[in-house]
Amino acid sequence: MERQHVTPIGNDGMYVLDTASWRILRPVMDKSKCVECGMCLAYCPVGAIIGSADKKYTITYDYCKGCGVCAAECPRKAIDMKPEGGEK
Amino acid sequence: MSYIDVLREAKDQVTPGMSACQGCGGELILRKALQIAGENTIIGIPPGCMAGAGVVGWNYANGLKIPVHIPLLDNSAAFFSGLSQMYQRKGRKDTNIVVLAGDGATADCGFQSLSAAAERGEKLLYICYDNEGYMNTGYQRSSTTTKGSRTSTTPIGSVVKGKTQQQKYVPLIIAMHNVEFCATASPSNMADFVAKVQKGLAASKNGFAYLHVFSPCPTGWGYAPDQGIEVARRAVKANMFPLWEMDRGEFKLNDENRKPITIAEFVKGIGKFKALSDEDIAAIQAMVDHRFEMLKRLAGK
Repeated sequence: MERQHVTPIGNDGMYVLDTASWRILRPVMDKSKCVECGMCLAYCPVGAIIGSADKKYTITYDYCKGCGVCAAECPRKAIDMKPEGGEK
Repeated sequence: MSYIDVLREAKDQVTPGMSACQGCGGELILRKALQIAGENTIIGIPPGCMAGAGVVGWNYANGLKIPVHIPLLDNSAAFFSGLSQMYQRKGRKDTNIVVLAGDGATADCGFQSLSAAAERGEKLLYICYDNEGYMNTGYQRSSTTTKGSRTSTTPIGSVVKGKTQQQKYVPLIIAMHNVEFCATASPSNMADFVAKVQKGLAASKNGFAYLHVFSPCPTGWGYAPDQGIEVARRAVKANMFPLWEMDRGEFKLNDENRKPITIAEFVKGIGKFKALSDEDIAAIQAMVDHRFEMLKRLAGK
C-alpha cells in the first residue's frame, strides 16, 4: 500500500503565537568565545537556535521567549542576556 | 553521528510559536522527541500542559506538522492501542506511534489504560514528561509529586506543610509489565535522552516501549526559567531521578553516579521545597537511597 504522510491542515493553517513579544531579556552570542559545541541548540526549548552544516550556531529572534537556558548552559559563557530595548 | 548532529539536521515538527512557559521542560522534550521521530509519526497528546499550549491545534489551526490526536486524560494508551492495531493491519508498520503524556495522564488518571496496553504489548512508544503535578490547571498534587512539595492542593500552612506522601515510582512499575523497552531520561543528559528515544522508537515496532522523562517546571516549582536544565541535572546527581533502562528484561544503570549530591543540595533554590523540614529532607533522602540501592541490585551492580 502506498504510504501517505498528508496531515489535514485546518482552515487557518498553523497555530503560531508571537512568543517573541514575551521576551524581556535577549540572548546575544559572542562569536569570538563560541567553540561550536552546540549545547545551546541541544537545550533551547523553543528551537530558536539554528545550526548550519559547518557547525555555526545562530540565535533567531522570531520566536525566542528569552528564558535564558542557552546562556546558563553555555560552557564558555559566550551568550549574554541583554535587556530588550537597551540598558536603562 | 553524534546527538548534536542528529538534533541539528532533523526538522522541527512543532509550530514555532507555542504558548508553553519560558524555559518549559515539556516543550524541550516534545520538540526533541518529535525531531528524532520524524514526519512519519502519529502522536497523541492527552490534556495537560502540552495540549493546553496549543500543539494539538486551536480554532481550526494546526499545532503540529504531523497528525496529532487529543484523547481523553484517561484513555490515551487505549486510544493508541486501537490506532496501532489499525496501522499494523494496514501494513504501515514503519509509522511511529507515539503518546506524549504528562504525569497525571500517566500515573493517575491514565494508569489503568496504560497498564493494560503495556501488558498487552501494544506496539507504541509512550513518553511521560514528569513535571510532578497537574501544572496545566495550576499545580495540583499528583502521585509523582515529591514529599513536602508546595502545591495548590497541599499548601504550606500551620496544619499541613506540603504533600505528606512519598512519590510513586512509575517507571519501575511499567518495567514489571514485561515490556519491550522501559527507561528513564532527563533533558539535562541530552545524549542519553536522544539515544533512548531512538531505542524506544525501534522497540515500539516489536512491542510496548515506555520512556519516563524528568521535566522541571519553572512556573509550578518556583525557580528562575534559565535554571531548568540545572535543576534536572541536580535531580540526576542527587539520585532523585536515576537514569536506567530495561531492554527486554535486562536492566542497565546508565549513570552509576559514584559521587551523589545530597537532597538538601538538590532542593536549594526551588520554591516548592522552601518549607521542607529536616525530617522531610531525611525522609526523601532515605527513600531515594533505598530506591537507588534497589536499582543497583536490579542492574547487577
